[in-house]
Amino acid sequence: MMSTSSRAFVDDLALRHLDAAYNLGRWLLGSEQDAADAVHDAYLRAARASDTYAGGNERAWWLAIVRNCCLARLAVRNKEKKNVPIDDNPIAAERWMPRADADDIEEALDSTRRRQLITRHLRNLPENFREVLILREIEELSYREIADVLQTPIGTVMSRLARGRALLQKALTDSGNVEDSHGL
Amino acid sequence: MDCKTANELLPLYFDGELDRATSREFEAHLDECADCRAALIGLDALRGALRKDAPRYTAPDALRARIQENVASAAPVSRRPPGTRLSWLALAASWVLAFAVGGVTLAAWNHASTSEQEQAQLLRDLFSSHWRALAAASPIDVVSTDQHTVKPWFAGKVSTAPVVQDFSAQGYALIGGRIDYVGTERVPVLVYRHGKHVIDVFVLPGAATRGGDEPIQLQGYVLESATLGGQAAAIVSDMDQAELTRFRDLLDTSSLSHTTPGDR
Repeated sequence: MMSTSSRAFVDDLALRHLDAAYNLGRWLLGSEQDAADAVHDAYLRAARASDTYAGGNERAWWLAIVRNCCLARLAVRNKEKKNVPIDDNPIAAERWMPRADADDIEEALDSTRRRQLITRHLRNLPENFREVLILREIEELSYREIADVLQTPIGTVMSRLARGRALLQKALTDSGNVEDSHGL
Repeated sequence: MDCKTANELLPLYFDGELDRATSREFEAHLDECADCRAALIGLDALRGALRKDAPRYTAPDALRARIQENVASAAPVSRRPPGTRLSWLALAASWVLAFAVGGVTLAAWNHASTSEQEQAQLLRDLFSSHWRALAAASPIDVVSTDQHTVKPWFAGKVSTAPVVQDFSAQGYALIGGRIDYVGTERVPVLVYRHGKHVIDVFVLPGAATRGGDEPIQLQGYVLESATLGGQAAAIVSDMDQAELTRFRDLLDTSSLSHTTPGDR
């Protein structure tokens, strides 16, 4: 039994927060195709479960479903020990590199290096920490919203956020001066 | 404010989760502490780097098209946010879930069949929820001294709206409610005030089992188990033991005049 009005609500919700969903999936799964498939799964699941939405923050409800679909994919991947190629190639990178018209070529190179560096370090973080950093710093969710997405107490959100920030800060410091990075 | 406290509040301040009064105290400390200023600048630099240099991937057009295809196939209807009225089926399903999960939580609570570790985790959740609420910008989601406002607010947000009763005549005034997580469960929390003490009452899923649980103390705060309208509940506060016991007895007796599990 599915109420059509709540179905329309899910359609609207999913499309409004599609980038947020995809970004989370992309960071959790590392692959463009997997992220897109997980978000599509999440949409179907949300549409089926739309009657169970019981108030509260709707974006958090939607992202919680997206996250569960991503974790399900990760679990399968780990079980099958499948190595999914991480989209690291320059073509994928172009998608998020704006302004090809950067005046200064030096400047453009620096910025590319900085992006590669932070992307690599973020990816190296355990996913527990990576996801809270993405949700807080990039998607700008409040602690409460993150707790709703992770279905965990706020205290856990706070400790993971603190740990994730410390780990990333340390990784960036250790890799030293961006200009001197060896382009690993 | 000492440096240790300031250090704990620093991320809350940075993330805009501190109330205004505490923020001002924190800022006063910041003026005279170079270490805390440096830590704050560090957090800001990290955020700056993430927002500037970490890609925010945008959904590919193909994905958007795939979802829009599904949308188009559904009948166009007027929009009403759901959740205001649950179908009886969904309600029934949520009850089954509440009972199933209630079993788990209660087992942890009674530490009969579960490990010490789970018990400890549950306690940590309850205490940290209370502390965080004390430091937060909004310790209460619904601010009201009227039980007839607080109770309906919970309906639709959690599977079981708890019994809500004001005890201001007895010195324990209802000041509102919020929803928090215990483990992975959303639970209603009733907030009372007694003098300067804030009291949180966590209504745990499942039926109550009054066993002579000893109150548990942690850093000056006490957790005591209670019953509320036939449900298990946990009181967390920094009141002294006599005040706490009196409040628990009020809660326990209030349940008698209210719903019993049979009414569902």
